[in-house]
Amino acid sequence: MAPAGSSGEVTVAMATPLIPTPLILTPGDPAGIGAEITLKAHQAGEGGFAIIEDPRRLATLADRLSIDAKLRIIDTPGDISIEDDHLPVIPLEWPQAPCAGTADPRNAPTVIESVRRAATWARDGSAAAMVTNPVNKAVLQEAGFAHPGHTEFLATLSAPHDGAPAMMLACDELRVVPVTIHMALRDVPDALTGDDIVSKGMLLAESLRRDFSCANPRIAVCGLNPHAGENGQFGDEDDQVIAPAVARLQAAGIRAFGPVSADTLFHRRARETYDGVLGMYHDQVLIPIKTLDFDGGVNVTLGLDFIRTSPDHGTAFDIAGTGTAQAGSLIAALRMARLMATNRHAGS
Amino acid sequence: MKPRIGIIPGDPGGIGPELIARLLAEDGVLGQADILLIGDRHLFEMGQAQAGLEIAMTDCDALTGDWTAIDGLALHDRETIAPEEVRLAEVTLANGRSALGNLNCALEMARDGIIDAVTFGPFNKAALIEAGLGHEDELHYMAEFLGVENYISELNTLNGIWTSRVSSHIPLKDVPDYISGHRITEAVHLIDRTLKRSGLTRPRLSVAALNPHAGDNGNFGMEEIEVITPTVETLRQQQLNIDGPWPSDTVFLKAKAGEVDGIITMYHDQGQIALKLMGFDRGVTVQGGIPFPVTTPAHGTAFDIAGTGTADVGATRAAFDIACDMVGHWDSTA
Repeated sequence: MAPAGSSGEVTVAMATPLIPTPLILTPGDPAGIGAEITLKAHQAGEGGFAIIEDPRRLATLADRLSIDAKLRIIDTPGDISIEDDHLPVIPLEWPQAPCAGTADPRNAPTVIESVRRAATWARDGSAAAMVTNPVNKAVLQEAGFAHPGHTEFLATLSAPHDGAPAMMLACDELRVVPVTIHMALRDVPDALTGDDIVSKGMLLAESLRRDFSCANPRIAVCGLNPHAGENGQFGDEDDQVIAPAVARLQAAGIRAFGPVSADTLFHRRARETYDGVLGMYHDQVLIPIKTLDFDGGVNVTLGLDFIRTSPDHGTAFDIAGTGTAQAGSLIAALRMARLMATNRHAGS
Repeated sequence: MKPRIGIIPGDPGGIGPELIARLLAEDGVLGQADILLIGDRHLFEMGQAQAGLEIAMTDCDALTGDWTAIDGLALHDRETIAPEEVRLAEVTLANGRSALGNLNCALEMARDGIIDAVTFGPFNKAALIEAGLGHEDELHYMAEFLGVENYISELNTLNGIWTSRVSSHIPLKDVPDYISGHRITEAVHLIDRTLKRSGLTRPRLSVAALNPHAGDNGNFGMEEIEVITPTVETLRQQQLNIDGPWPSDTVFLKAKAGEVDGIITMYHDQGQIALKLMGFDRGVTVQGGIPFPVTTPAHGTAFDIAGTGTADVGATRAAFDIACDMVGHWDSTA
């Protein structure tokens, strides 16, 4: 990714490793907690990002939450000044005044358009990465959105990539990619293919190299069955599907190992033996990452030609507008995006 | 009256003998219970040598007299393996036979009321199978040995968090059809009873979902709507302190926060991933459904460090403590 020309204006202080360009943050569903956690992240001292939002709405919300936020309206991410303590806002207008907790499908096209704008900036280098606030899939789909979620939509805005998109969950201590994601556990064994294990494994390895500075990443591959099948006694997928896929990854020069019994893979000493984990199903990797670091878990989309992270929670309509939302996961997503952009920039 | 705990070394080639030696040297252990060591004297002495300890043991024949009356630490000496047959860090038939032989003896003593509970050092499953285990795990072996016909399930516990599971050592593809209202109910009652026997008056229980996001209102599987939720509702009406199903990636946070005592999981890795993550070296396994307490550290024989004198006694101490607690509460909750 090419750094933007505007980075020349930034004075780089030694103490703070600055990114060449800022992050761009989408509003998410305006009936959710996106604006609130954005203001709280800003209040907590997070900088270097611009939010696409209605500035009047943000100002009103900041007043109500007693957050002292000085907003600065800008046109593109390149206009932000990193030395500045203002919150940079790229304005949009909601067709309908957002109502906390009640999504309005008439706002859905604007939600989608904001994601498209952010992706465009992330692709052309005006932004170093995009971070997305949560959307409500059902409401978007009601308005005609044809994709299961953010991730699949973003893949259509990116150059195609084998195995893409893939979902990575990352915190400071653990990075995991599930090969199958949002499906009934009943459907997992049949849905699991060697090709998918290989392509997701390649994406994970590529991301660990580019975004997390692991020159030669070690990838632990989980078994599907208890004790990784115990030599075929408890299921044959481990021997017949996963082991050959691990061999293919190894043949491609990736330091993959497994299948490993998943229950022995996530304690502290085991985590020292790898840089990333390829899991076979959603909860196999979500249980360890959430149990380890509930607030710090960040959702990263792999296989796009730009960087995208998001907090790992939903719109939280149930608490929207009450002022009780926590910004921890958004802050972690912003920091993760910045770290990935810095590493990718340094390596390019 | 003190609990009478029978202790066996487990697989001679693993860290079991060393762990038992370290357990006996732990603060308060010898005063907490009447302890009967069951197994070959040379195995216990080997463990002490590995741990750098020397502990006096008094021979007795626990089958013919009141062993608790003797002075010192009681040893019911047996001959299950010759000293020169012991192979450290190897799966051997002789090691397996020794482990199984001592287990049989301890189970018979507990059945016959000579001891109240059994705590064992780690077994090596491959060695047990060579020696004729004939079952998928030691729990099923024990159940057959004792003629147990009620529901049995391994329970796991770590720092006051307990898990039971509805399915265990079966292929993941068989799990969804295995989950039934009846089996969930059995697993719930087992953990409820076991927690009461460990000293809790009204255990707080949560049930984990089977599917991601607890099925997301039926988008990712119907088992929550069709099976788990109605079963939990029925159990709640029977005055159990229970809720769920909870998405399995968040249910363990409730336990971590001290909000629940026991979690009923649907499959093996669901609970084991979380528990081992939270404390790989300290977890305890309780053989649920056996008519007396049987406990063991959840970790294995650790062949990589066997004989090196570096084994961590934490889980073994916890297994012993839980056995003692369970004996104290066993009859009042039967």
